[in-house]
Amino acid sequence: MVWMLAIFLVMFILFAKVFVPKVGGTMADREDRISGDIGAARQLKEEADAQARAAAADTAQARAAAQKLALDAKAKAHAEAAQREALEEAKLAETLAKAETQILATRDQAMTHVRDIAADTAATIIEKLTGAAASGDEISAAVAAQA
Amino acid sequence: MAAIEPMNQFMIHKIVDLPPVHVGGLALDLSITNSVLYMLIASGLITIFFLTAARGAIVPGRMQAMAETLYDLVDKGLTGPMIGDRGRPFLPFVFTLFSLIAVMNIIGLFPMTFTVTSQLAVTAVLAVMTFLTVVVIGFLRNGLGFFKLFVPGGVHWSMALFLAPIEFISFMVRPVTLAMRLFGNMIGGHVVMYMFASFVIGLGAFALHGGLASLGFVGSALSLGMVVALMALEFIVAFLQAFVFAALTCTYLSDVVNLDHGH
Repeated sequence: MVWMLAIFLVMFILFAKVFVPKVGGTMADREDRISGDIGAARQLKEEADAQARAAAADTAQARAAAQKLALDAKAKAHAEAAQREALEEAKLAETLAKAETQILATRDQAMTHVRDIAADTAATIIEKLTGAAASGDEISAAVAAQA
Repeated sequence: MAAIEPMNQFMIHKIVDLPPVHVGGLALDLSITNSVLYMLIASGLITIFFLTAARGAIVPGRMQAMAETLYDLVDKGLTGPMIGDRGRPFLPFVFTLFSLIAVMNIIGLFPMTFTVTSQLAVTAVLAVMTFLTVVVIGFLRNGLGFFKLFVPGGVHWSMALFLAPIEFISFMVRPVTLAMRLFGNMIGGHVVMYMFASFVIGLGAFALHGGLASLGFVGSALSLGMVVALMALEFIVAFLQAFVFAALTCTYLSDVVNLDHGH
């Protein structure tokens, strides 16, 4: 059948030159486009991820800086307080020392008066008891021996 | 009542009578017969379908999706897995065979039409053409190495001596089986359908005599059911035989295309 052969050949040429390239080309195009879109989407996602990572790093850095600042401030405040405390303490110690020396001085002074008072008292007692006054030197020697 | 003539449906008659064309000593009758008419209708339908379907849209419409499904069927179902990476160049050939045979088969299932593929001459032309294509491609790709096809690999020479003739016969018989399978399936299906359809009318007419003959209605109804069932079956067969033809073509092509690296 010549006709069958001829029709087959015509159809074959149509398929080979028109139908198959067109349908196959469309499908290949679609695949390319889909894979391209997926690639673009993946790239965008990677970019977004990178940005998210950068933002997270920034946040961490800022937090660290803030913490450092807070620590520094605290340490500084501590140091200042300690310094002030030490200053006050020193001032207080000085006052205390001054007061102590003063007290000591007063006591010493008082103690010297005590001997005089004792001598006076002794002289008065001796006079009252014996009716005779003892000499000042004897009394002071006796007081010194008693002290 | 018309005589039951199951073979009449396959008769060829001329529609446009053309004078024979003389090529060399051969007189070719190129008259347009009913067979030729349906070949032209089939190829016309395929052409219209693909021209309207292949729009090249990224998002396919219904027709384009159908065309692409068919393309995938041949590409990923036949040439791809059967021939492999080297199958792509044969896609148009296999696709043409598949489409043309499938459409001619399916057109034949509609009433009052002619089934082109029920003609042994037509299936033989397709089969011989496929066979010669395989042989030509075999020689083009492998040169004289083509003859290795008849000697299975890894066989002792004494065995090969016996096997080679068998392989050769099985190779030469391919166009015959290819032609006979399609032709037999088509003509058989149509004859059986015709017979059952004639039972529907014949038994029904017989039942009209009344009396015991009324039982004929039962047979008539059963036959009608058979015709319906056969119709569904024949649609499957129409598609399947086209697919089988294309698949075997792929197998034969694969034999010669992949001859050098084992098959």
